[in-house]
Amino acid sequence: MPLFDSDFLKKLEYLSLVSRRLFRGSLLAQRRTMQTGGGIEFADHREYSHGDDFRHLDWNVFARHGQLLLKRFQEEEDLHVYLLLDCSRSMAFGSPPKFDLARQIVAALAYIALSDLDRVAVIAFADDIVADFPLTRGKDRILSLLKFLDGLEVQGEATDLGRVVKAFTQRPQRRGLAIVVSDLFDPNGYERGFDQLRYRNYELHAVQLHDRLEAEPSLLGELELVDIESDGGQKVTITENALKKYRILFEDFQESLRKYGRKYGVGLTQTRCEVPFDELILKMMRASGAVR
Amino acid sequence: MSLASPLALLWLAALIPVVVFYILKIRLRRVPVSTILFWRQIYDEHRPRSIWQRLRHWLSLLAQIVLILLLVGALTDPFFAWETRQLRRIVLIVDNSASMNAADISPSRLAAAKDEALRVIHGMRFRDELAVVVAGGSPRVVCGFSSHGRTLAHAVDDVVPTDNPTRVTEAVELARRLLGERQDEHLREIVVLTDVGQVSNLPGPNAVEESRAGWKPAPRVIIRRFGTNTGNVGITRFQVRRSLIDPLGYEILAEVTNASNEPVECRLEIDLNEDVVDVVPLKLTPGQRWSQTFEKTSADGGHLLAKLDRADALAADNRAWAVLPKRELMPVTLVSEGNLFLQKVFESNPLVVLTRVEPAAWKPTSEPSVGITVLHHHVPEKLPAGSLLVIDPRGGCDLWQLGEPVQNPIVNQQDKDSPLLSHVRLDNVVMPEARQVKVASDEGVKVLARSLAGDPLLATIERPGQKVLLLTVNLDEGDLPLRTAFPILMMNALNWFTENRGELRESLPTGAITEIDVAVLNGSRGLSGTALAAGVPAVPAASAGPLTSSQIRLIAPDGRRSALPIQSERLSLGPFYQCGVWSVVAAEDDTTLLELACNLADRNESDVRVPKSEEATQTSVVSASVLGNQPVWFWLIASAWLLMAIEWWAYQRRVIE
Repeated sequence: MPLFDSDFLKKLEYLSLVSRRLFRGSLLAQRRTMQTGGGIEFADHREYSHGDDFRHLDWNVFARHGQLLLKRFQEEEDLHVYLLLDCSRSMAFGSPPKFDLARQIVAALAYIALSDLDRVAVIAFADDIVADFPLTRGKDRILSLLKFLDGLEVQGEATDLGRVVKAFTQRPQRRGLAIVVSDLFDPNGYERGFDQLRYRNYELHAVQLHDRLEAEPSLLGELELVDIESDGGQKVTITENALKKYRILFEDFQESLRKYGRKYGVGLTQTRCEVPFDELILKMMRASGAVR
Repeated sequence: MSLASPLALLWLAALIPVVVFYILKIRLRRVPVSTILFWRQIYDEHRPRSIWQRLRHWLSLLAQIVLILLLVGALTDPFFAWETRQLRRIVLIVDNSASMNAADISPSRLAAAKDEALRVIHGMRFRDELAVVVAGGSPRVVCGFSSHGRTLAHAVDDVVPTDNPTRVTEAVELARRLLGERQDEHLREIVVLTDVGQVSNLPGPNAVEESRAGWKPAPRVIIRRFGTNTGNVGITRFQVRRSLIDPLGYEILAEVTNASNEPVECRLEIDLNEDVVDVVPLKLTPGQRWSQTFEKTSADGGHLLAKLDRADALAADNRAWAVLPKRELMPVTLVSEGNLFLQKVFESNPLVVLTRVEPAAWKPTSEPSVGITVLHHHVPEKLPAGSLLVIDPRGGCDLWQLGEPVQNPIVNQQDKDSPLLSHVRLDNVVMPEARQVKVASDEGVKVLARSLAGDPLLATIERPGQKVLLLTVNLDEGDLPLRTAFPILMMNALNWFTENRGELRESLPTGAITEIDVAVLNGSRGLSGTALAAGVPAVPAASAGPLTSSQIRLIAPDGRRSALPIQSERLSLGPFYQCGVWSVVAAEDDTTLLELACNLADRNESDVRVPKSEEATQTSVVSASVLGNQPVWFWLIASAWLLMAIEWWAYQRRVIE
């Protein structure tokens, strides 16, 4: 069954319509930048200085008060949305695989952004950036984007978000909204990558996916656990007590994510991979955290 | 250490699959996970226990191997050499005689002895064997050699108190025989739980030398005594008999013994059917034995009861019973032309209702005559049914042919055991003449006295429905009527015809066994009720048939009923284990056929004093147990169980992670 079939496209269209109806004026391309410039909406006045464009002088104020004040307008610009998609092998885990849901989410977010005339780029990463869909604009680009996503496969070694973000932020590009879709199982910690994005003034939103068996594993007995990213193994005797500790640790991990989001104003969506992507997008819209 | 079942070692082969499966088991199943970050965090916390974690597999394997070794070890039933060397064979003698019922120690000496017996049983080592013998009355093995503690404990629990006399000496002898049957080298012990001061057949001083000489060593006898030096007053004899002079009179012999160290005042009361016959105040010095004979008169029968009004440690000898049978009138028809001696000998008996009939006026009938018919000289051609005393017959009949007169017969043979000749001697009686008789058939004929020539002088002929006593001596000649033997012989004859129903039966001591003639019971059965009251002599009823075991029962004083096996003409009764009146009754209607009084009547039993020195030696005979009295396999199984319990606990508590 193809990942992006006609039903999927219909759902994308539906989501796009819903996003416009519900969030008109607050979504992606209709948002205003804080830069002043050649827009049409008045922002404030400032003192005239030598060399300023006379056309921007407020003559009415000069007529009344004899002061030369320059009108400033808020410049309207399109938003750059960077979708960072985790393609590490851990994303192949789950039923259905987390990677499928991750690609559907990326596709949906990209479609919504393209519909709102924003620019969208998709960066696939694992231990490093493994594929790139360059910054693009226009709804007509969605098919090529979907094709790009469809062609992606899980690959690489252990997730290294810090390294990926470092490579990503070193690119000559405008700041924008960075949405990381990943399970965030980074042996070095997700914080390093997130911190770099924040320091570089990217608006960060994280969509963290996990499978039910990752949250509540049903393993018991003498086993050799094999990390599908690093192929590293560990011989363990899993007991009820160990499972209990695992659940606590996993919940601590989830809580640390939430705490990080609250602390640094990072939007966060945590979900299991059984959840349909459209429901998840709607949930994100309602929460107004992922897209504004 | 040796193994009783070495073949069980084959079960060690079970170790092979365990080890094989264990090796296969440690090839762990590989399970892919998206990340082992969290697992590492969990197991990294246990790094300090990494040695334990490395060892846990081997410990687990070791636990399984040890478990199998323990179970296989238990199956082989190992035992130590010293177990066989120190194996004991014990005979436990529990004295349940009357004196053990003394309540000087609570609740009784027997109860304390049984408690000690249970302690001995619980103190048995594995493979020890023990038998239980009771020594109240005839020694009896109540449980043969067994190692099963529960069986032995039940046997001890089932030992009941009796009023029997102590037979510890015989019981020790029985125990020795029991131990002597075993030809092995086990340690042999006899443990006696009693209150008897002295046991006479303990091993002598030569026992050690005998052992050195290669003889089997005598078993060690350990005596554990129960009781205190308490005093007791008891009736040690109580008998009653009919007077030899007065047919209505009876004589009572009573003896009271003061088996205490203090003078005692008490009162002896004698009742006949709950009517006081006599009351005697007694003042007894320590150890004094008082006895007295009472002469009383009564035609009534019943139960005589002697009571002491003093409550002491032993209750069984404070009462004594005797059975006084009722004297019944006997109708006697004397068919004679006239013999004053014969007539007077019957008239002098107040129990006899005599009717004299001339031979010409006497008409024999085909029906059994009521009472006893005495035919003097006159004999009809066919003797009638019933009880007949024929004296000096002058003619033949259907039972005999009359021969020539015998001159001066001298009694050569006399049946001393016959009740007819009890207290009668005929060998010194001058009898000038007798009649020679030739009995038609020897069936039912018993000659009690015979002349030198072999001619019967006194004989009984018993046929169905007919009892005949034949005396061929001429009473008109000689001095037999003048001898005291004559009225005694006539009295014996009357008693014989009436099956001794008027005779006294002495009180029996507890533990005794007596025999009675089945015919006595048959007569009582045939003459029950109104017939007995009418004084009908006991003639075996042809229609009644012989008694069978299912028709009679023996009832103990406590009401316990038991069957009586009848295998011959004599019926064995007893042993009587309880004081009181025992009854033989008809099974169908509980009609009393016979009553027997049973008393303790044993001076040794009444003396319940246990010397102070014997009390001081009271030490427990329970030996120190080895290995908790359990076999090695028991401890192996227990260890296996403990090991499994620990492993289960460790698994449940997740000690091994």
